[in-house]
Amino acid sequence: MSRNVKLGILGLAAILLLYPLLFSGAFALNVGSAVLLAAISASAWNIVGGYAGQISVGHGMFFGVGAYLPLLIYQITGLPPLAGVPVGIALSIILAIIIGLPAFRLRGHYFSMATIAVAELIRIFTGTWEYVGAAIGLQGPAVGRGWWDLTFRDETPYYYIFLGVLAVVLYVTYELQRSRFGSYLRAIKSDERAASSLGVSVRMTKLKALVLSAIFTSIAGSLYSIKTGFVDPESGFGILVSVQMVIIAALGGAGSLFGPLVGAIILVSLQTATNTWFGGGGSGLTYILYGGIIVLIARYEPGGLYEYWQRISPRLWRSRRAA
Amino acid sequence: MKKTSHLMAALLAAVAISAPATLARAADPIKVGIIWPLTGNAAAAGQASKAAIEVALDIINNKHPELGDLPLAATEGLPNAGGAKIVVEFTDHQGNPSTAQQLAVRLITQDKVHALFGAYHSSCSFTATAVSERYGIPFMVGESAAGNITGRGFKWTFRGTPIASDYAATYMRFFADMKKQGRKIETIAIVNENTDYGTSVAAAIEEEAKKNGISVAIKVPYSANSTDVAPQVLQLKEKNPDVAIFISYTADAILFMKTMRNLNYLPPMVIGDDTGFSDPSFIPGVSAVAQGVMNRSAWDIGKPGTTTYKINEMYKAKTGRDLDDTSARNMQSFFALADALNRAGSNDPEKIRAALVATDLKPNQLMMGYEGVKFDQTGQNVLAATYLIQLKGDAYQLVWPDRAAAAKVEWPMKGWK
Repeated sequence: MSRNVKLGILGLAAILLLYPLLFSGAFALNVGSAVLLAAISASAWNIVGGYAGQISVGHGMFFGVGAYLPLLIYQITGLPPLAGVPVGIALSIILAIIIGLPAFRLRGHYFSMATIAVAELIRIFTGTWEYVGAAIGLQGPAVGRGWWDLTFRDETPYYYIFLGVLAVVLYVTYELQRSRFGSYLRAIKSDERAASSLGVSVRMTKLKALVLSAIFTSIAGSLYSIKTGFVDPESGFGILVSVQMVIIAALGGAGSLFGPLVGAIILVSLQTATNTWFGGGGSGLTYILYGGIIVLIARYEPGGLYEYWQRISPRLWRSRRAA
Repeated sequence: MKKTSHLMAALLAAVAISAPATLARAADPIKVGIIWPLTGNAAAAGQASKAAIEVALDIINNKHPELGDLPLAATEGLPNAGGAKIVVEFTDHQGNPSTAQQLAVRLITQDKVHALFGAYHSSCSFTATAVSERYGIPFMVGESAAGNITGRGFKWTFRGTPIASDYAATYMRFFADMKKQGRKIETIAIVNENTDYGTSVAAAIEEEAKKNGISVAIKVPYSANSTDVAPQVLQLKEKNPDVAIFISYTADAILFMKTMRNLNYLPPMVIGDDTGFSDPSFIPGVSAVAQGVMNRSAWDIGKPGTTTYKINEMYKAKTGRDLDDTSARNMQSFFALADALNRAGSNDPEKIRAALVATDLKPNQLMMGYEGVKFDQTGQNVLAATYLIQLKGDAYQLVWPDRAAAAKVEWPMKGWK
């Protein structure tokens, strides 16, 4: 890592840590936590979608399992929702293996289509299953019985919990990309056949990446439902949940460590800002602006903003030194 | 420099002219934050309700002595709060429960609203009311139907609209009346779209039917996106129930009516549970084949000269359409909230809450066909009820209960015959 990159990371970390002090007020913090949550799930997706190049458009299934379990455990046993997080992780791992084994026989678009189909199946199934609240969904404790219920009126605790989890996800991803396993993933991404001919166990590697990705996506789902206190089939397993992860990662730069974080900062702030400015008018301008910016990025910077930054930053440094 | 001084002079003049108005100006306005789907798949309902609230604001904030006993119509603003006006802040949750939660936080902490109102989707009402509970700000649920939005032990949530169980109870009372008149109602069928709306209403109807000794011959859940409902209609035909109750959105309601015609199957009576059957496109789409279909509505335009007729005229002048049941229920809930804001006489949340708890509106003070507005300890309006209407020609006519009816119930329905 060059000195500049290290400085950049330190700066970013400092901004994220100090954000609650810089922007006080519950709404700013709420937006901050929304950014971090989106960054966690997009970074989790990034492991299999970015590094391994297996574009899953069904990651909502892991997010949903993670979101449902804490509230389900709470509704059935009255235990704090937190108790459902490990159960959600365990189920997501099992789900990843069951889905991954057959789906990784497929490549490219076919793999993406298979993941969409499975996620939609789970969504529809959940919507008719009384035990998990069917179409109406599940609720958590609205007013916490103690700190362990994690229902804070103040937004600050959520912000720092999310920031902590994001740090873990990014650290694991960082170690992963430096490891031999990371090289396998990149090899698979650039050419599966070549990788296989060089002795990389392609399916096993992809499966491991999917399991790791599912674990973190599930945690993101749990954080979402604990904070929101509500989940229904659409907000847990909905296709938009999956698509949002893909868009954020692609926007910031899929397959790069900080891409999803950059994407989340831009996209979520943009969503919130356009909705705050134009939402009340109800003219739909929100979507037009939001969609327009995505189109512009797809047209001019398909590699994502992180790539763009990497391209222009050396030039910026040089020009500054020259000056 | 010169330009600036001109500007200053103009400003001073403006201030001088407006000064008396400023002096006469009443207390600070009371702010209400409204959380609705203004875009997305329920945008039409959100937009129609937005227009209805704008009409309600006109009625509350300006003098409308022509509107009879409607609270706050005759006066300007809230007389008990020194003539304070109500201002609203509309926000768009796009049908997303997490966005609804975020907006509730924003409205409470940034816009400093004194009360919240919303949120159409039951899922969004769940999350937004939880925020108002944490912050201690009153939340009036305008029209979301899921039963357990109230009854979660919340202190700050109130709901003016009837809910699924009220509708179910109404249908049963209607059946009992019809049986007295010698109609045969032994079995019913429940046909419901399979998202939260259809599922919760269907469950409530099934429960009430059981209590009233009416057997549910068959339950037919389906997806509202279906392009072919022939299998569902054939299922109905096989069981041949005395009444088929449909809980449907618009396109599917129309499709069901047309498919029944094509398969030449008509139960003695079809009851639509509002929503799709009340959509402006329903009647032009199927009036030729659905004569006598029944529907529920707590809203009735009434005869010329009545308060409801005048409210409808105001709404029509604004939007070009008649006021629909959904928007009207929202409007009524908003009037109930405004009445409480007035009695509270202040913007202190605890006082507003106390006023809401003490709400007791009589039928003559309402624009809807409720028995009144009075909240139980869960915050639910226990006097909410609904009318039943029947399609005759190109319009629905109020046929039940008898005290309000404009026409007689035609049983069995004629359909296309």
